[in-house]
Amino acid sequence: MKIGKNEFKLEKRTSLSGWQATSIAVLAVLMTLFLFGFIFLQAGISPGMAYREIFSYAFANKHGLPLTLNRFIFLLFTTYAFILPARAGLWNIGMTGQMYAGALSAFAVLYAFGAQQSKSLELSAGLVIPLMVLASMLGGLVIGAIAGYFKGKFDTNEIVLTMMLNFILFWLVSFMIKEGGLFMNPGGRGESFELPPSVYAPLIGGVPFTGLVAVLIGFALEFLFDRTQLGYQIKAFGKSPRAARYAGIDTFKIPFMVFLLGGAIAGLAGYHYFAAVPGVYKIARNYGQFGDLAFYGIICGLISQSNPLASMPVALLFGGLSIGGRFVQGKLHMAFGVDYALLGVLMITLVAFQFFYRYRIVRVSLDEEDGHA
Amino acid sequence: MTQEEKSQPVLSARGITKRFPGVVANDGIDFDIRPGEIHAILGENGAGKTTLMNILFGLYQPDEGEIYIHGEKVEFKSPLDAIEHGIGMVHQHRKLVEAHTVLENIVLGHPHAGTILNLRRAEQEVRKLCEEYGFKVDFRAKVWQLSEGEKQMVEILKALYRGAKILILDEPTSALTPVETRLLLDSVQAMAKKDLAIVPFITHKLPIVLEISDRVTVLRKGKVVARLETRHATEKSLAREMVGRDVLFRVERQEVEPGKPVLEVEDLVVQSDKGFLAVEGVSFTIREGEIFGLAGVSGNGQQELVEALAGLRKPVSGRIVLDGVDVTHLPPLERWKTGLGYIPADRIHMGSIGDFTLVENVLLNYYFDQEYNRGGILDYRKARQMTEQLIEEFNVATPGPDVLGRNLSGGNLQKVILARVLSRRPRLVIADLPSQGLDVGATEFVRNKLVEAKVNGAAVLLISEDLDEILDISDWVAPIYEGRFMGIVPAAEAEREKIGVMMAGYNAEGVAQ
Amino acid sequence: MLEFITRSLDASMIFTLAALGELIGQRSGILNVGVEGVMLFGATLGFIVAQTTGSYVLGFLTAVLIGGIIGLLHAAFSVVLGGDQVVSGMGIWIVGFGLTTYIGSPYTGPLGMERIPAVLGVSPFFFVGVLLVLITWFVLQKTSLGLAIRSVGENPAVAEVSGIKVARLRILCETVAGMLMGLAGAVYALNYNPVWNYNFLMGWGFIALALVFFSMWNPWFLLGGALLFGTMWQLSLNPEMVLPGVLSRYIWRTVPFIVTSIALVLMSTPWFRTRWGAARPQALGLPYEKD
Repeated sequence: MKIGKNEFKLEKRTSLSGWQATSIAVLAVLMTLFLFGFIFLQAGISPGMAYREIFSYAFANKHGLPLTLNRFIFLLFTTYAFILPARAGLWNIGMTGQMYAGALSAFAVLYAFGAQQSKSLELSAGLVIPLMVLASMLGGLVIGAIAGYFKGKFDTNEIVLTMMLNFILFWLVSFMIKEGGLFMNPGGRGESFELPPSVYAPLIGGVPFTGLVAVLIGFALEFLFDRTQLGYQIKAFGKSPRAARYAGIDTFKIPFMVFLLGGAIAGLAGYHYFAAVPGVYKIARNYGQFGDLAFYGIICGLISQSNPLASMPVALLFGGLSIGGRFVQGKLHMAFGVDYALLGVLMITLVAFQFFYRYRIVRVSLDEEDGHA
Repeated sequence: MTQEEKSQPVLSARGITKRFPGVVANDGIDFDIRPGEIHAILGENGAGKTTLMNILFGLYQPDEGEIYIHGEKVEFKSPLDAIEHGIGMVHQHRKLVEAHTVLENIVLGHPHAGTILNLRRAEQEVRKLCEEYGFKVDFRAKVWQLSEGEKQMVEILKALYRGAKILILDEPTSALTPVETRLLLDSVQAMAKKDLAIVPFITHKLPIVLEISDRVTVLRKGKVVARLETRHATEKSLAREMVGRDVLFRVERQEVEPGKPVLEVEDLVVQSDKGFLAVEGVSFTIREGEIFGLAGVSGNGQQELVEALAGLRKPVSGRIVLDGVDVTHLPPLERWKTGLGYIPADRIHMGSIGDFTLVENVLLNYYFDQEYNRGGILDYRKARQMTEQLIEEFNVATPGPDVLGRNLSGGNLQKVILARVLSRRPRLVIADLPSQGLDVGATEFVRNKLVEAKVNGAAVLLISEDLDEILDISDWVAPIYEGRFMGIVPAAEAEREKIGVMMAGYNAEGVAQ
Repeated sequence: MLEFITRSLDASMIFTLAALGELIGQRSGILNVGVEGVMLFGATLGFIVAQTTGSYVLGFLTAVLIGGIIGLLHAAFSVVLGGDQVVSGMGIWIVGFGLTTYIGSPYTGPLGMERIPAVLGVSPFFFVGVLLVLITWFVLQKTSLGLAIRSVGENPAVAEVSGIKVARLRILCETVAGMLMGLAGAVYALNYNPVWNYNFLMGWGFIALALVFFSMWNPWFLLGGALLFGTMWQLSLNPEMVLPGVLSRYIWRTVPFIVTSIALVLMSTPWFRTRWGAARPQALGLPYEKD
């Protein structure tokens, strides 16, 4: 393309430095906010006003901030569940199902202690909470491991398989909490029994302890990828399964491990949202929408280029945006699903911006050779 | 065709120039060809042959220069334009759809194939061509069932069926047995007699150039360095034009006393991906200080044999003993630890990872090593030091150890792989097509390093399609044909012609197997 | 029982149309994992247009058009820019899911139009589906265009040097693919179940995607598979019509997904692959760049 004395050419990138990747990601987010503004315009609302409302509610409001933080924690877990397989070149879109499995397993522990019978049951928090956390990880792990096992063993298409597992688990949750299911609330409103207050998750500064866990896991993953042998093997497998096999890397173990670990972390998301977030403490009737939120994990993973530390600010931003979006939707009487629209717009820009990870625009001055933009 | 028409060039290229980031691949190339002429283009890897070929066939557009067909200026925007101007291309890496039949491949893209495919008519027409040039091929066979020679024939037929008047042959004899080579050269001459213009592009096979061509154009570093009538040329003069000296390769052969056996293979049987037996019971031993050359045309089981030895493919039966350890059922990693060193043929997708830095690439063979891996934590600093050392030792041209693998040239990448594998001091080195696609300097480097490894007491298994390479440095030569060794011959007794015949499926006595 | 059969046929045709689109795209080498997203767009926009204009024709045209546009964009991203087709496909799905939920929610509720009349006792889309399968098979197997498409999907480099415009052909195929997926979505929302609801598809598109793998890329096998899965899907929705009182209805809903998973795993075993694996287009999902 020629503009004035300059010609603009596309050139394939030979390398992409950390700050280049970061600036592309930041640009993509800004672009999303810009495009998303049109949704407010179309609804007859000034985007500037809408964003002010969104951000002030999400990050500076005593009701909004805890919601944002809890969603941030949830998104972090689902993002990690996406990142681990993504580093091995695999697509885990089954965090929804793994998360449901985690929630079901955590409630199974409560059920075993008889919590379904009475809401005021006094349980030993020191025993039951760790058990619930472990069970939720185990539940997610099993669902993840199914996908990982077949991926490693037969190279089964993991996208379709994990998606199928999502639907299976979705209906299993319904089975468990509705129409006479084991976990049904005795009140019978199509939701699960409630957590006895004695096993509410301890809060650290108003935020469930799962927040600390999520941040710690982020650093652990960073260490895994950066320094360890397993991390190296995962990365090698992700970049080139053939070269990995040549080098003696176990091509069953790696896919199996990443799905197994990813599933366990997604299971924690199930514990977090249904058993640790103040004010929820049950598997709600609209649990499907929490499942949908798990797909934000894909986007956070893609934007942060599968970097566990970079995914923290990204997840915080999107947690806030989706909470704030839902708030303005109600306040400004917009149609349902503003947070869904955000998901869509984000994905559009993200795919469009994939392009910039591969190419750069080079300016060639027609007067003289060379010169880069 | 009148005499006057015959003396006019059917194709001329003037001042063809093509630049890629960092290199001028073609620099002002002039050349022309007349009907009925065989005009070879000679040049080593990296001299710019492929670029020129792609320009003539419309895959690349030149930055400067013109192409004329029958004196008329033409511009090829795509292969379709080139085909419509009578250019046909026979690729070194056959461009055929393996899953389709021969006939489907021949009619693909033909403008008169009919909106609704008329395969019967096409078959009659192609059959006529076959009779004219003496080709024999089963039209209904799937391409993957054919031998390399047959595939090449299909490509020639396809070009002729599209009405090619100028036939470009890319490394025409590279994957052929000596017998198939003979057949090809005969049909090339037959085609030239029918006024086709033929342009073979050749890298190393100087005798072929001398035998069939009328004229030769020699390329070096993107430029034409010589244009001569073949009758005035000799192997020495061609080599001198190509690389600036009388011989293409200089390798120091060194004899050492062989030691104890390192690799013992007993009656190994291996299956291919498609389910048939690719290796049908081979047995051999390689000792310390020996290079064992596996000579054969690709697709005769070399790939499967190597994969079985490296642990990447489960053998059906047989035994593999490495340095006294039965490794038949051990996974690849255990074999590496036992002393395997494997230089794979596909250096870009298997031997290295393009998105990894050189340090990380070096770690591919070291991540499991005690010295670099303490309790599951990798010592990247140490790996970096070693990489720097290897870069220096093996003269790898790179700005540093943090460069990504994909930014290295083929020759430098191969040096990194070689350095990484050989620095482990492996007991057994498997070198699969180690010099494929490399220029003369890098090829010599690779060969000398293999000889060095042998002198240091390693056993070396060398797989090559280039018989000269095998004869140059091996101590033993084993011609392989359809998964069987046609014999194991000491290099001192190996005669070129005899090995060539054995590669085509005859034993040492010349009896078909 | 008769109603069950006609409903099953209707369901089968939705699978057929969507999967047939995916099959055409895959035959040319383009993988679109976002079938569900394209269907959601076709269904939602088709529903809105049909409801506001009162015209089925406009509704279906809109669905085909939007499907075609998405297919074109996916192809442009994959072919022209050489992007990762899975990223783009996942994008289509998430965009479709996110945006249609927002766009469609004001229209939640029944379509409120007279039903599309049946022809010979079944929905007219049965004939459309079978006819399109026939046409697709004929074009792929018997015409020059089909040979070109198959070659592009197997080995684009070969097609290129045979004088075929690889990029153009792939874009064409994927656009047609998108149109069929959009149509499939509209058949769902305008005929099969004319009610707009949040996230109403719940996996149709992903099963259609799996069906293409099961069909060995053969349109007739695909039709057979779609009939099977359509019936199974219908059964999972109305188990009482065939097996009253057995299992909870929620467990029935998992059946199509469990069967799909099992079939998917079986088809990826080495036993199956060495025998039937050759049907997969060799260049599927790989960007083609001239080298």
